[in-house]
Amino acid sequence: MQFADFSTVAFNQIVNQASTLFWRTNVPCPITVRLPFGGTSGSGPFHSQCLEAIYAHYPGLVVLTPATVEDAYSMLLSAVAINDPVIFCEHKFLYYHLKAEKLPSEALPIGKARIAREGRDLTIVTYSAMVHEALAAADELATEGWQVEVVDLRSIKPLDTDTVVASVARTGRLLCVGEAWPWGGVTAEVIARVTAEGYGLLDAPPQRLNAKDTPVPYHPNLWAAHRPTARSVAAAARKLIRY
Amino acid sequence: MPQISIIMPQLGESIAEAAIINFLVKPGDQVEGGQDLIEVETNKATMTVTAPCGGRVESFSAVLNESYAVGDVLGKIEATKEEAARFGLDIPAPAKSCDTDSEVISKKSRNATGSRVEPTIRGLPVPANATGASYMSPRLKARMHELGLSAADLAGIAGSGAAGRVTVEDFEKFMANLEQQKLTKASSMRVAVADAMRRSWTRPIATVGLPVQLDSVLAHRKTCEPKPGPALYALRALAVALAENSAVAGRLVGTNIVHPNAIDVGFAVEAEDGVLVPVLRGADKKPLKELTARYNELVELARQRKLPADATGGSVATVTNFGTFGLIWATPIPLPEQTLVLGLGAGRKMPHWDEAKGQFVPVMEAYLTLSFDHRVLDGGAAGRLLSRIGDLMKQPEKL
Repeated sequence: MQFADFSTVAFNQIVNQASTLFWRTNVPCPITVRLPFGGTSGSGPFHSQCLEAIYAHYPGLVVLTPATVEDAYSMLLSAVAINDPVIFCEHKFLYYHLKAEKLPSEALPIGKARIAREGRDLTIVTYSAMVHEALAAADELATEGWQVEVVDLRSIKPLDTDTVVASVARTGRLLCVGEAWPWGGVTAEVIARVTAEGYGLLDAPPQRLNAKDTPVPYHPNLWAAHRPTARSVAAAARKLIRY
Repeated sequence: MPQISIIMPQLGESIAEAAIINFLVKPGDQVEGGQDLIEVETNKATMTVTAPCGGRVESFSAVLNESYAVGDVLGKIEATKEEAARFGLDIPAPAKSCDTDSEVISKKSRNATGSRVEPTIRGLPVPANATGASYMSPRLKARMHELGLSAADLAGIAGSGAAGRVTVEDFEKFMANLEQQKLTKASSMRVAVADAMRRSWTRPIATVGLPVQLDSVLAHRKTCEPKPGPALYALRALAVALAENSAVAGRLVGTNIVHPNAIDVGFAVEAEDGVLVPVLRGADKKPLKELTARYNELVELARQRKLPADATGGSVATVTNFGTFGLIWATPIPLPEQTLVLGLGAGRKMPHWDEAKGQFVPVMEAYLTLSFDHRVLDGGAAGRLLSRIGDLMKQPEKL
């Protein structure tokens, strides 16, 4: 796809045909759909959307959201190798701002999150480009004496609940950050799982930070205020740490 | 004149901040909308910040060579009348900051286009549950459960969380500090008493007191063999009084008073590190003479901690003789499953005015106290019960 936003034109083929093919016919559907997604300055409502939660809603689809060039490379190898249809969400941030010194030689197992930064005061669970905003927020909070753990989900379906719950067990506080809209999103799913499986680990109500619940604005200033940034992530984290 | 803020624009993708390198106009200058005002330098290029509207530059809050984040206010422009009208700020209003003004604009434009569905989720929501000093997080509860602690054990922790709540960090620090002090294991009896008292203290408990003359009791006990203790007289008097009206010993559960099936009365016996409460079954049915032997036997068994199962639990009230410690007054706490506890203080020789003789005479006097669950009975009912017990003790031969 040229932009993730345009994949909605192929929505029927992806969610009605590809995702159910194996379950209907026992014939696998080994396709990988590459979706360049996420906002860039001035891209507006039709070239900025984050559709990972919509695709993750459908059984039969695997949804991957790499945060680094290395991960994107090795996860793409995995995506092509497996028999399931894969929605491969590549944030445009990866194209423009990240480089890899050396590409990994091996494919990455699908469904395993990574601890992007270790900490003890708060867990930020996020994925794709927001990992970099979260890491910047963690750097800022480190200067204030708070150690923030950042979990990069890598794959949102399947979702690595074990790594997330283990992190919350260390910190007791959970903030989920996503560039997508809040309603029924990945951040909501993570919170639901942690609340169900790790209720006794929570020392504060789990929180989420998403884009505003409006279409993505064109104007760069509005866009900057619309999506979570290192600054707003740090503010939300501070509020949660002080709870 | 309304003021419009000059804001650091999003100068490019991924650019979070820019440094001020040159001011192209001075405060007081007239500027056109879109005119270059400030030169800024990013890590990529030199760019300019333009005027959001036409008007007079009011002030620059930004400082030369300092960096400012995207969205920061760099200064203010006093907008011209035409510009103000364009921004919808021409209504006379007290000067406001631009941030609130922009909200006014969006509200106005929204109203202008008719009703709209408001977004339902706005940033970080305020937690729905009330916080406060008494709030315990799920994690804190789980941790306390793991260690077998209760809310009363947290009383010594000053919380650092929102509204003074105890966070898990506060709790762990408190526990770690405890390890630096001398710790001894509380006996299982101590733990059991603590548990009972804590449960009992969840109710509103009040105490009333009444002095009674013990002379007739003391005279009467000399005639008996074995000699009953003063507390047994009080116990028997309580049993007789409760047989007349058992409702006051009932327990309140929801909207019902649960009446006792039998007047079984317990009495407190100090044993090692706690208190045991052996029970005299049917204390209202047997006269004092028959109760004495059993009473003495149970005291002995309690001290040896060998009470038989049928002599513990299930009593409707308890008698405690705190007078044995030399105390004249106390406010004992009833057991959690009971509504009443009758206390007996130490006897003292007191002057008593004798109307017939026209002089003070010495009498042996002690205080009876009655602690009760105020949900079940009030001071009046408690006072009447206590007076009745006092009257019964004046005629010990009838007990």
